[in-house]
Amino acid sequence: MNNLEAKNSKGKNVFKRVFGIFTQTKTPTPSLIILYIIMAVIFAVSNDNFLTIVNFKGIFNNFAVYGIMAAGITIVMIAGGFDLSIGSIAGLAGIVSAVLLMKEGAVPTPVVVILALVMGGLLGLINGLIITKVGINPIITTLGTLATIRGICYFWAKLNPRIYNDFIENLGRKFLGNVIPYTTIYIVVIFVILSLILKFTRFGRDIYTIGGNENLARLAGIKVDRIKIITYIISGLFAAFAGLVLISQLGSGRPEYGDGAELEVLTIVVLGGVAVGGGKGNFLGVFIALLIIGSISNGMVMMDVPVYLRMVVKGALLVFAISLDAIRNRRRLQLY
Amino acid sequence: MAETSFQELKKERKKVGISNTLMLFIVLVIMIAFFGITSQIKFDQQFFFSILNLIPMLSNISYIGIIACILTMLLITGEIDFSIGGNIGLTSCLAALLLSKGINGGLVVLICLAAGILMGVFNGFIVTRLGVNSIIATIGTMSIWRGIGYTLSNGESMLAFNPVIDYLGRGTIFRYIPFPIVLFIIVIIITYIIMNRSKIGRRIYAIGVNPMASYLSGTNVKGIKFLLFIFCGAAASLGGLILTSLSAVGMPQHGQGLELTVVSAVILGGTALSGGKGQILGTLAGVLILSVLYNGLTMLNIMYFYIQIIRGIVLILVVATYEIRQSRALRRV
Repeated sequence: MNNLEAKNSKGKNVFKRVFGIFTQTKTPTPSLIILYIIMAVIFAVSNDNFLTIVNFKGIFNNFAVYGIMAAGITIVMIAGGFDLSIGSIAGLAGIVSAVLLMKEGAVPTPVVVILALVMGGLLGLINGLIITKVGINPIITTLGTLATIRGICYFWAKLNPRIYNDFIENLGRKFLGNVIPYTTIYIVVIFVILSLILKFTRFGRDIYTIGGNENLARLAGIKVDRIKIITYIISGLFAAFAGLVLISQLGSGRPEYGDGAELEVLTIVVLGGVAVGGGKGNFLGVFIALLIIGSISNGMVMMDVPVYLRMVVKGALLVFAISLDAIRNRRRLQLY
Repeated sequence: MAETSFQELKKERKKVGISNTLMLFIVLVIMIAFFGITSQIKFDQQFFFSILNLIPMLSNISYIGIIACILTMLLITGEIDFSIGGNIGLTSCLAALLLSKGINGGLVVLICLAAGILMGVFNGFIVTRLGVNSIIATIGTMSIWRGIGYTLSNGESMLAFNPVIDYLGRGTIFRYIPFPIVLFIIVIIITYIIMNRSKIGRRIYAIGVNPMASYLSGTNVKGIKFLLFIFCGAAASLGGLILTSLSAVGMPQHGQGLELTVVSAVILGGTALSGGKGQILGTLAGVLILSVLYNGLTMLNIMYFYIQIIRGIVLILVVATYEIRQSRALRRV
């Protein structure tokens, strides 16, 4: 097989062989790593401050919220689902806990945290129930809950709660040994645990099976509905946690926090090689995609790219990444 | 045996009763009546049915509706275009920029439509030739278009005054009928004829139901999808021009979040995201319902965030009704 491929590629020109590194691997992770190294070299050459510990502290802390959300949506997407409501769930969890913490000592901190997480889980449960039991397309369902939950956030629009609570303040701002942000530890721990679950437990393998072929999974006796609902609950939980980190980093609660996060997170997850139809994806890819997106935002600021052009670059990057992915996975005969 | 079961099926279908589209129009009529009556009771005066309310509402509906009709065709093939909002922003900035350079209004309209077609070609190329999932591809191009719009206008809003552009959104025919509504009606008629009376319409439905089968029966699946993406780009540009004309200003924020409104309207109209199902008239009803709901609730002085909640709930409720109706119909068979 390898011989055959080598023979075939003999006649091709150098460009195609170089391009082949990107297009002919099975997972996008190696090409993502190469992409990141190229980017880092460009940024490092153009600005001395890019490759410094201080800068990376900033980069890691900045993508924390998106990273935590990405963990949940990755699980949902591997199972063939979709969750657009994460930004709104984060916003609701954030503002509700900020409002509860407004009066010092009125509600104990652990209660607030647990309440926020339970709320996120419940909203995920609602998403999951509508999607599996009523049978509405996940995109539409979460589009609807996105609007509804965001609307609920605005109930507290007049209040402008500031965070004076030590625990919440430290949650997203502290550094371990003054080098590693707490948020990075959360992300690494979450990603490692979730990838272990995906790889070594029956639940994890079932998620891949459902994403690959739902009917087959049903016929094989997997409880498809239950597992799908659980994935949405996980997504809601992480979104709520991301909301807590968000209010911690911003130091206040506002109803519009987390607006539009779903698209950013979607970009990261898709760039990381999670298939939109489900069945494919791993957390290493998502983590590197997170690094890429975070470093690009950071590096473009350092290179003094105009703010509006950054949007274009980000969009172009998403299109480029997904096109590579599509070329890589193209069927031999794509007829339609 | 077969025949009797077929006749039974027909009877059963009668029992199922009214079509989804008819249901939507009944809901629409009830809603309009409700808002008419409540406005009469609350203010002792008819605000809802006044010219001052209806004309702006219909003008606002028109550009959403034009895009929604074309998007319905695209959705029926099983693809989607989220880049319409970004397209509107770009078109609006481009138009204002060209006008500020002193270019003839008619030419500006042509250039903007050409830009829309180019954007459609780009989307179509990525989706049909490279085989990228259309949701993600168009989310990417959405931010590219909007970013270009911001770059063109440098983030500012620019005045756009020109007789041709003004007429596009604010002109009237026979003194009373606004021009954008006429455009909207023309688009409805054309798309209705395409979808219900032409060969290409049947093929569009067939592609949505089973692309493989339609390919095997000789349909140019990629070509039709490509064409619809181009239509969608052009329609979004036209919508952007109308919006620019209505607000007399070209700004990159135009059309922000519009893609979700349009997609909600189309889906409310009974089009399935997975393709193969949908009606132009259903989309018309969906657009009207969302707009009337927004207009009426605003008139009743209900706060914006309640309206947002109500919109989300209406969307989920209606789609849930479709699903339940469909599963019931299937169970009967």
